Amino acid sequence: MKEPDPIVFVVDDDASVRDAVKRLIGSVGLRVETFGSTAEFLSSKRPEAPACLVLDVRLPDVSGLELQRDLAAANFHIPIIFITGHADVPMSVRAMKAGAVGFLTKPFRGQELIDAIQEAIAKDRAAWNERAQMAELRSRFDSLTPREKEVLTLVASGMLNKQIGAELGTSELTVKTHRGRVMEKMGADSLADLVRMAERLSPSGPKYK
Amino acid sequence: MNRVHVRRPESAIFGCGLAVTLVAAALGLTLLLQSFVSTAGYIFFYIAVVASTWFAGRWPGALAVVLSMLSVAYFFTTPIYSFEVDRQSLPIFIEFAASSAVVGWFSSWRRRAEAELRYARDELQLRVEERTVELKRTNEQLLEEMAERKRAEDAYYEAQGELARMTRMSAMGALAASISHEVNQPLAAVVTNADACMMWLSSEPPNLEEARAAVECIAQQGTRASDVVRHIRAMFTKTAPERATVQINDLIREVGALIEGAALRNQVQVEIELDAELPVTMGDRVQLQQVIVNLMLNGIEAMSEVDDRPRRLVVRSQAQDSDELLVAVRDSGVGIDPKNEKRIFDAFFTTKDQGMGMGLSISNSIIEAHGGRLWANSNSDYGATLQFTLPAEGQSTL
Repeated sequence: MKEPDPIVFVVDDDASVRDAVKRLIGSVGLRVETFGSTAEFLSSKRPEAPACLVLDVRLPDVSGLELQRDLAAANFHIPIIFITGHADVPMSVRAMKAGAVGFLTKPFRGQELIDAIQEAIAKDRAAWNERAQMAELRSRFDSLTPREKEVLTLVASGMLNKQIGAELGTSELTVKTHRGRVMEKMGADSLADLVRMAERLSPSGPKYK
Repeated sequence: MNRVHVRRPESAIFGCGLAVTLVAAALGLTLLLQSFVSTAGYIFFYIAVVASTWFAGRWPGALAVVLSMLSVAYFFTTPIYSFEVDRQSLPIFIEFAASSAVVGWFSSWRRRAEAELRYARDELQLRVEERTVELKRTNEQLLEEMAERKRAEDAYYEAQGELARMTRMSAMGALAASISHEVNQPLAAVVTNADACMMWLSSEPPNLEEARAAVECIAQQGTRASDVVRHIRAMFTKTAPERATVQINDLIREVGALIEGAALRNQVQVEIELDAELPVTMGDRVQLQQVIVNLMLNGIEAMSEVDDRPRRLVVRSQAQDSDELLVAVRDSGVGIDPKNEKRIFDAFFTTKDQGMGMGLSISNSIIEAHGGRLWANSNSDYGATLQFTLPAEGQSTL
């Protein structure tokens, strides 16, 4: 699976700062999308790539700190770098506690922002890979027939083909055929691989009895 | 009414002694006169009984009665030289007792009246004393209340001043935050663009187009920042000044009345010396008034620490050269530190704990806008003189 290019979102109400930041980030070859308000950002599509958000604290509609809270509440996990004209310590502490990657005071040096962005993207890349793999696994699992899903669950629980056959009321041979189809559809190389996948799909234990 | 008759032992002894002496005297006199006057009777005994009762009271009177009875019984009634008494002599004894009782009643009535009078007098005196103490206390209370009121008034003025300062300070704080934001945004854009430009230039190959765009933005944002600064300056110096004929002497008199309270509170003696020949000037009356207020309050505040010499504020107006007038405000305060002489007209420069450093700066802008000049000198003895010139009418550059 090929990883798409990372993307940086910039939300600042001041067009000149927004454009300058866009130009700066563009100079290191990263994709940039800019927004003038939090509403604009929220109505945009969620990224299909590792991403981070450069966010002005002082915004006309919803403040950056509120947006940070809203995003967390909406389960939209994206590393945030705050930029602000007048940082006070309590404000930055609040932002960092809520999981911000960086907190820069305007005017900041370009390299500081670039470093913070690289760090944020690296952090999101790992999370993104995890998310992408899970999505892939989920779609493979969804392609199984109900009977195949049952077989997968019972295999993962450590039962032998004979026992599975007894459980489902079919012959051992039929179970063996289902199992081969499951291995193929899930793209598993070995039984161990398949069990691992089943565990990742339902970490709390077998879904079907 | 609470009456207590305290009969002291001395007075009892005196009473008995008096009774005995008087009866003895009566006996002696009666015996003496008996040989000459046969009809003498017992007048002296009556006198003794009455006098004892009158002067010494009922009991000495009774004693005198008894003694008189015994004397009369022994010496004068038959049989003589015996205490035996015949029937005929009985009325004499009854008379003695009766006279003593009557006089005793009178005497005790008199004493009671006297005691009552004395009591009333004492009571009155007591009342007067009580009332005096009360009055004294009320007076003290009144004085205390007056002092308290004075303190409250002082505290009120102080709080009022503090409030005015706080209002100015918080307004300044809000203004400063807004200014810093307005200036900071373009600065942030400038710095970020400069860094972006550097990066585009150092990429392989250099992207000159992006670098040029960044530099263009830097120029734009630099201009934006300077616009903000110019705007602020304009806001501070003038808001469409009025142009009218202004009689500076009138302004000084008005301001003198305005700051009278401040001068009194700071124990500053204000002297105003006006040149009757002072020409009028053209300008904004309110702004010029503001300048005079600033200079005078500044002078008063400069003397707040002065205790070893009179606190004097002298405001003087004077015609200069025919086309100019001068106003000088001289104080006897702490003066100007020579190292600060150049800076006292700078915005935000202050040596006062509570100062904002705007007064002299604004005053300077106003005077300059009116085509005049404001400057400060240290006096040869104490304090400083702040003075400004303004063009006489027709010379204004407004």
